[in-house]
Amino acid sequence: MNDLVLEARRLAKRYRRGAWALQEIDLEIPAGGITALVGPNAAGKSTLIKTWVGFERPTRGSVRVAGIDPWQNRSAALGKVGYVPQSPSLYDGLSVADHLDLARQLRPGFDRDYARERLAQLDIPADRGGRELSGGQQAQVALALALGTRAPILLLDEPLASLDPLARREFLHVLTDAVRADGATALLSSHIVTDVEQACDRLVVLGVGRVLLHEGVASALETHSISLAEHPDTVGSFGAPDGSRIYLVRGTAERPASLDEVVLGYLASGRSTAAAA
Amino acid sequence: MTGALTWARLSYRQQRWELLLVVLGVAGVAAGMGWLANTLEALRAASPDCLAGVGGSNVSESEGPAAACQAVLNDYDSTEDLASNLLNLAWAAPFGMGVILGAPVVAREIDGGTAQLAWSLSRSRVGWLLRRIAFIAVFGLALLAVLAVASELLAAAILPDRTLGEDFTWFGRRGLPVVARGVGAIMVGVLVGAIVGRVLPSVLASAVVIGLVFAGLSLAHDQWNRAEATVQPRYLESVEPPEIEMTALGVAYGIETADGEFMSYGEAFDRGLDDNFRGEDGKVYQSEADLAAGRSMGHDAWLMIPGERYPELVLRDSVVAVIVGLAALAASAVVVTRRRPT
Repeated sequence: MNDLVLEARRLAKRYRRGAWALQEIDLEIPAGGITALVGPNAAGKSTLIKTWVGFERPTRGSVRVAGIDPWQNRSAALGKVGYVPQSPSLYDGLSVADHLDLARQLRPGFDRDYARERLAQLDIPADRGGRELSGGQQAQVALALALGTRAPILLLDEPLASLDPLARREFLHVLTDAVRADGATALLSSHIVTDVEQACDRLVVLGVGRVLLHEGVASALETHSISLAEHPDTVGSFGAPDGSRIYLVRGTAERPASLDEVVLGYLASGRSTAAAA
Repeated sequence: MTGALTWARLSYRQQRWELLLVVLGVAGVAAGMGWLANTLEALRAASPDCLAGVGGSNVSESEGPAAACQAVLNDYDSTEDLASNLLNLAWAAPFGMGVILGAPVVAREIDGGTAQLAWSLSRSRVGWLLRRIAFIAVFGLALLAVLAVASELLAAAILPDRTLGEDFTWFGRRGLPVVARGVGAIMVGVLVGAIVGRVLPSVLASAVVIGLVFAGLSLAHDQWNRAEATVQPRYLESVEPPEIEMTALGVAYGIETADGEFMSYGEAFDRGLDDNFRGEDGKVYQSEADLAAGRSMGHDAWLMIPGERYPELVLRDSVVAVIVGLAALAASAVVVTRRRPT
């Protein structure tokens, strides 16, 4: 198996209205672990994930899933992917069990027992209507459907966005548990950094349609620090809650940076680069 | 739950109100047809003398009904009018199925976001589409089949003395074309829904598109029929229509000139035909002088296809409608394969 399970080469995506959602994205996600794809709204996170699922066609460049171009060979690429959409998108009037039956009809090899077991562990009743569940439970059903595919790659498009903290924690627990147990690779997009910090191995910061940082979470924390004054190795600066200015430094400075500050620093750098351009 | 039941359940849950609407509509119309057929038969049985010849091929009304029969005849006529109107509903039903059942199928999946889930799970969107529309298509066509049979029975009740298997009366409002047009209309509705991707706009757009598609088909059929029709004089011998005129399909009405050319009334008026100079025998004249001299321009005629070709034209009409449906299905597959799920 290719060590790089998700690839984007010079990827650019422009929508009909003319705005560039992605520009010159070069990204390689290796096999194993969970990668967080972090960025503000409209950074292009969903668009990037949807190109890997085969929902969006690149305007320029290419993407590959386990070495397969999803636009050229969608069937083979989808066979490698389990996808959790931004909103759970469950069918109105169908029970959880019906969703699992439907998934088995749609995806040969769908492991209904595995998905059902995952849901049973969370006390989600199989006979309950999909839309009758809480937001957290709906997200768990969507995750169980993706996990039931037994796909080696999981693409999760902001599944945490509408969940309360407890539901987010439970979701991430199930995800990390499943990824570790199955040896899968997961890409989880989110704009909530504190949650992904505990669950993810790698971090990709996406801003203004570009990759601003791609690094292991531990490495990113080790190699960045905070300065309260201007610093020659400043990546980017942003305002602190008390009104002072904080400088993210690649290297050693006054104190270690939190992951949140690393992300904010790179987003600020991306914004100033875009403004200068 | 078996696979087919899963898809049926999904279809029912997604479109239960539309399904309820068409079931009630078809059940109501079919029941109305059955009731009217029985009523007509009962009226004929109750007053055989008054209604002798009604519903046959040649009814002479020159003597007029006996006074005692007038009420019965009025009753019969009003029932028959109602029956004719119901047969018109059978003509409209396939198009309604396309709008109500066909258009929302894919549109609702896209509108509600469930296409994202389904298309990410399904490795073939074409396979998904076929399974997704199967239940709706079979259900809709089964309802149309009920309507097709009911309308055939009602037509037979209105015209008990005619052989409707060789008769163009109510062509397209009874029998196989009702179902076949349903195939075309439902698939065109599915295509419009797949393109538009929003339920209400799809429903509205499909009403327009289905109307245009079938209006175009009707024009094409007219041209096809015109090429195959034969010219027949009208009312030359008698003021009453002969048997053949009652069962045939009238393609166009106009004038057959002295040299055998057929022209429609529109063309004839352009060439100077004056409606004032028309003989009772169906001959037409260009001027009063011609009328006085007996120099006729020609005589009333029509382009017609005889009733014995009814099965052939029913088959042709139905095959064309099914081909349109299959083409729309193929186009839907292309759209679903290429479009975004949102």
